[in-house]
Amino acid sequence: MKKRYPHKDKVLLVNITRLGDMLQATPTIRGMKMENPQCHVTVLVEKQFEDICFTIPDIDDVVALDLGMTVRSLAREQDGIIDAYEYIDEVVEDLRKRQFDYVLNMSSSAYTALLLRLIGVPRQGGWSSDSEGHRVIESEWARLFATSVFHQNRQFNSLNLVDIFRCSADVEVHPPSLVMKVSPENKEKMRRFIADQHFTNTGPLVAVQAGASQQKRQWAPDRFARFVQILTREHDARVIMTGSSKELSIIEPIVQACDADNVKIAAGKTSIPELGALISECNVMVTGDTGPMHVAVAAGTPVVSMFLASAFGFETGPYGEGHLVLQPVIGCGPCNPNKPCARPDCHDSIAPELLAKLTAMRCRGDVTELPPDFADPRQVLIYRSEFDRNGFLDLRVLNGGSLPPSRELLFRNAYRKMWLDDLGDLRDAPGAGMSNGSSAGPRGRSSLAVLDSAVSGIPEIVRAAEKGERLIRDLTELIKNTNAPAAALGRVSESLTELDREIEQLGYFIEPLAPLTRMFVFAKENLSGTDALDLASQMERVYGDLKRRSLKLEAYLGES
Amino acid sequence: MAIPLNHGDLLQGLAAKMQRDWDRRIAHDYRFWMSDGYESDQELWSSGERDFSILLEGVDNRHEKSFLELGCGVGRLLRPALRDFAKVIGVDVADEATKKARELLGANPKLEIVLGDGFSLRPVEDASIDVAVSFAALSSMPTDVIASYLLEIHRVLKPGGVLRIQAYVGDEQKVHQDDTLHLRCFRRENVSAALNFAGFTLDWIRELILPFEVSAKKAGIEAVIISLRKGDRTGAQITEIAHTLLPQGEVRGERTLPTADLECWMAISYGYELLKKGEIERAKLALQHARTVQDEASAEIQDYLRDLETKLDDGNVSEGLPVSGDSLGQSDIIVANRNILRQRFPEAARVLSEDGAVAEVRHTEDGPVVWIDGLCLDHPTRPRDAARVWVERTLRDARVTGASKLVVFGLSAAYHLEELIRRDSRPVVVIEPDLRVARAALASRNLTALLERVSQFLVGTTLDLDSLGEGAELLVRPQAQMLHPEACAAVKSSFYGARGLAVLKPKFAVLGPLQGGTQPMTTYTARALMALEQRVRPVDMSGFGPTYHLINDTLKCDLRRSTMIGNYIELLSQLVLESLQEKPIDILICMAQAPITGRVLTELRRQGVITVLWFVEDYLRFGYWQQVAQYYDFVFTIQRGPCLDTIRKAGAGAVHYLPTACDPELHSPVALSAEERERWGSKVSFVGAGYHNRQQLFASLCELPFKIWGTEWPTCRPFDRLVQEGGRRLSPDEYVKIFSASDINLNLHSSTERDGVDPTGDFVNPRTFELAACEAFQLTDHRALLPESFDIPREMITFESRADLKEKIAWFLERPEERREIARASRMRALRDHTYTHRLKEMLRVIYSVKYDHLKNRQEESPWAGLLRRSKRHEELHGRCQRAFDRGEEPKLDALVSDIITGNGDLSETEQKLLFLHHIKSQIVRMRREESGTK
Repeated sequence: MKKRYPHKDKVLLVNITRLGDMLQATPTIRGMKMENPQCHVTVLVEKQFEDICFTIPDIDDVVALDLGMTVRSLAREQDGIIDAYEYIDEVVEDLRKRQFDYVLNMSSSAYTALLLRLIGVPRQGGWSSDSEGHRVIESEWARLFATSVFHQNRQFNSLNLVDIFRCSADVEVHPPSLVMKVSPENKEKMRRFIADQHFTNTGPLVAVQAGASQQKRQWAPDRFARFVQILTREHDARVIMTGSSKELSIIEPIVQACDADNVKIAAGKTSIPELGALISECNVMVTGDTGPMHVAVAAGTPVVSMFLASAFGFETGPYGEGHLVLQPVIGCGPCNPNKPCARPDCHDSIAPELLAKLTAMRCRGDVTELPPDFADPRQVLIYRSEFDRNGFLDLRVLNGGSLPPSRELLFRNAYRKMWLDDLGDLRDAPGAGMSNGSSAGPRGRSSLAVLDSAVSGIPEIVRAAEKGERLIRDLTELIKNTNAPAAALGRVSESLTELDREIEQLGYFIEPLAPLTRMFVFAKENLSGTDALDLASQMERVYGDLKRRSLKLEAYLGES
Repeated sequence: MAIPLNHGDLLQGLAAKMQRDWDRRIAHDYRFWMSDGYESDQELWSSGERDFSILLEGVDNRHEKSFLELGCGVGRLLRPALRDFAKVIGVDVADEATKKARELLGANPKLEIVLGDGFSLRPVEDASIDVAVSFAALSSMPTDVIASYLLEIHRVLKPGGVLRIQAYVGDEQKVHQDDTLHLRCFRRENVSAALNFAGFTLDWIRELILPFEVSAKKAGIEAVIISLRKGDRTGAQITEIAHTLLPQGEVRGERTLPTADLECWMAISYGYELLKKGEIERAKLALQHARTVQDEASAEIQDYLRDLETKLDDGNVSEGLPVSGDSLGQSDIIVANRNILRQRFPEAARVLSEDGAVAEVRHTEDGPVVWIDGLCLDHPTRPRDAARVWVERTLRDARVTGASKLVVFGLSAAYHLEELIRRDSRPVVVIEPDLRVARAALASRNLTALLERVSQFLVGTTLDLDSLGEGAELLVRPQAQMLHPEACAAVKSSFYGARGLAVLKPKFAVLGPLQGGTQPMTTYTARALMALEQRVRPVDMSGFGPTYHLINDTLKCDLRRSTMIGNYIELLSQLVLESLQEKPIDILICMAQAPITGRVLTELRRQGVITVLWFVEDYLRFGYWQQVAQYYDFVFTIQRGPCLDTIRKAGAGAVHYLPTACDPELHSPVALSAEERERWGSKVSFVGAGYHNRQQLFASLCELPFKIWGTEWPTCRPFDRLVQEGGRRLSPDEYVKIFSASDINLNLHSSTERDGVDPTGDFVNPRTFELAACEAFQLTDHRALLPESFDIPREMITFESRADLKEKIAWFLERPEERREIARASRMRALRDHTYTHRLKEMLRVIYSVKYDHLKNRQEESPWAGLLRRSKRHEELHGRCQRAFDRGEEPKLDALVSDIITGNGDLSETEQKLLFLHHIKSQIVRMRREESGTK
């Protein structure tokens, strides 16, 4: 794999916000240690997640940023501003003293980007700031991260964010799962906890995480109740409801509607490490796309997960082999995470009965295939998580055999191959793809590709990129020629601006091409320096990248 | 200044006085009165050589030239002149001087000594002199005499001839017209102008530097040498030159600085000095001379003279010498105090040198104390103990602890001041309003140490305390306050006002009306406050004006309409309150007709906001102040007299006169294109609404090339022709164009009762000041308060009737130069005295003088105080906080980062950190919003 900074000794990982984010970083952290056992890893987290860090192996040091206190100080206004300022002063000073040689920030927030600037570590991955405070992303993988989570582009991405994150940090060798520590003490404590529940059933132990972070991702309690009833009545299952005490308002009605002897509440009674220990004792965990899902994956417990509303299994699905992902098939999904939904029809795509049947199957063992007609692929797609030959997680559909491949699927696959090839120098099979867009292999095209207007848009992008390269050559000549009239320079510069606008617009008009143009835009935003010739050569590379990637995409689409 | 009809008589009278005075002095001791070197003739000549070389510097080819000295005295400069020049003429008014000069210089064919008449150079021939000089002479001549001599010198000089004079420039000195000893000092620009007027071209003005101090720069006086060349005559007369030199004219009648006082004092000092040297005979002569003028000298000096004479008679010379402390005799105390006073505080010395009453001095075991009007200003028996207690208590006061300078109101016998300077090293300023008290203190106690130590010593009641500056604290002696409550109030007002301007940074809101002519004044007021570096937020209510009209037009029934309007105003008033809660203020300035109710004003006052109304309307015509005055801490009016009292009685906290003004940012002459002149210009113009009296008067001007601009004019004849552009409302920018484009701008104050000029009209409308500032020529109707603001007819022309107006229009239409001159003078005056910045400064002075402590406490308890104090540890952050504070922003993070977000360029580390905090805050706010919106 291509690497920017292959060797790192003292790393700061900026991972401020959520439990899930923290756990999703574990393959990267473990990978760094696998590649260089001497590597010292410090994690900067928000104060309330500090404890989680102690459950994560391989973290050498934790710096906690008390955002709550900072915001409270700021809310106090007046001299609270000074408190907040002095606090940040101290944090920055502390981080500077630690003299990191590499810092990775995969949070897209403006403040972490500025923090990187303040700490002043020269080698960076992910989001940072330039001297004027604008966000910049140096690493191509991190730009792909930003491109992929851009709402319009999500459906065309099948690379799990854990892998993109890992590659942003140049980590190639990595564990095939999220990881966390489960201490023998906690395991013992949770065993006692389970024993104390006095289940009357004797079948599989199933953890159910009913709560969700967003209303629109919240599967209705009555559906959960029906699901649990089937599990306990028909499959002799013992059910433990996990979650936080805040989620009891959702959990309690579920429990009340069920067989009280076999549905027990652990929500609000466990710490995160205890939750890990508890889930590790379960046969399966059933959940939405939640933090506890990642805990289950890290604790080694198989997951049956529903990706409702804005959740997208390819993007944040359970990172490990053999987990099951249910993704509703609906025109509006996965929807925009920032928009509420008044009528989450996607919730209807998954019947409690289907979920119970699948859960019972997973309790019995790995599910690598499903019987025909197990579930209608026009309503819900059921995937099994597995790693490809390059060690990147993928989702293999278990119930889609009867359907022709969709446009999204074809592009998703082609993009996957193209990015691995172009950014990682990784190819799925020998001879696949091209090492260079210009020396194209057989430009075969599927009938669908020929018909698709999206595919016909690719040559337009290629032509635009080539025009860009020509203009840059003109520009370079003009810059070198000291007698060149300023007006001529201005004309070329205007043409370039107009061209870039056209390229960006192509992405808006032809949705499947948006990942290409978005990567182009990010690359342009990252041009840096003041030397005109140097800037021109950077721009030339950007047009070259666009052209090469477009041609590769076209070729991979032809293969499908 | 009134000039006597027979000017020759005046000059002759003054010349006779000059001759008498100088004859007397030279007869006593020519060296002492004529020279700074008076020990011997040798010293006299060497001082002459020194001054001659300075005066004649750069004058070449002397041996070919003729030389004339005006005021040659005993010939101190004639001697070196005889050596250098081909012909030398000395002119002096004193017989004793010319005689002595002839004696000292001897016969010389090159020399001519002329006993002059005191105002001309007769018999010197026209155009016969190459170089004329006057050293240490003109400054002791009456101004009219100087003017006369200047013309004479011009007459006798050859074309291109040189004139060198020694004079004093700087602050004008109040010298009596017939004074022949005190120095006259004129404003530098007036000296230049007068010399120019007299037909001379100025080469240069240089400071005169001698081995001893000749300038008194602390008193604003600079000794200079002026070099001139003869130019063309201008036709200027003596009176005009004298007026240019000293526009206010010299003091006459009552004597402010009697010559005799100074002459007697100088003779006494001289005698005293001789006495100290043991030159008894010469000392006696000096005292005899003092005796000859003593009748006109003040009582104190006479006392001292007597005292010294007694000592001389007793042969007890050593007792007459000043020694330190209380062992000084009465007269020694006067002399010692006076010496230091003259040296350190010449203005106080000058004021106190005037004749006047002295407070009673009684003796206690501790020393003398001062009594006046039955009140002892010190402790009547134990002044030292009482002073100690007062000082101890005062220094413990928290506000005194933090002060960098102490200003004490009340001198009395100064025990408290001596105690204060003994215990405290901070600068001390002394203010004594009562000259009687100051005289008594200086005559009874040796205050030399105190006078050496205090930084300012101010006496009298007309004091300028602006310079006291930041960090000073005023300490008022209760006795002085009891004796002079008004002076004390004035000092407090001036002091706290000035200090408030320097120290206080309250936040203002300026609330404008919904509509009407006062609307732009809101902007001018806010702009002036900003110019005064105040923190201000204009509250523009004009957007709510159309709804007001809509309500008015919708309802026909008066009751319904007034109820709805009332409700609407109540709503707007509440809106103002809510807005001020979001961004709190300290002072609310409401312009007349601002939409705010008593309920809201009461609520704001409850929160400590100071409420101010600038009532820029005729209080007799608009009576709504009767309902609202009680809700205001301050009301400022554009009328004086009964208005102030009437509004005060309606419940207003304090009522002051504050006329409107101009805003030079807008009200300035504008350059117009030919098309613009065509559109906006006219021979005669008027801008304003069609009030009754204007309609009545202007209908009769329809024969003229006359344009009327503004609303509410009739559409019938002749107005259908006169009123421009459909009688629409004009913007202030458009007014200014009309002003600039018109030959004559009419300004008739509105009246609904009169048919033309309102003979009882008092206040001056804003238009008067605006026109003046635009350098537009205006004819304005006579107003009682107008002469306070403009010098009529130099700066402004008024009319009193229809006939008068017509006559003046006709006159001035024919005289563009005259119009231009008056308009120019009018603008100068407006810019000098009548801008909104002047007005607001005055307003703040009044507010701060009364509310200083209130505002200071509020400032110290304000959210900003803590932020500013704590941010001091971080220099850049502090600067940023201070700027946000000065801009009048809220003490919030947003205020500190607003310009970082919108700005360009590299971020400093502080900026990065603040932006970091800003992003954290925004992110958390966004997350919370998402959670609440989606859950």
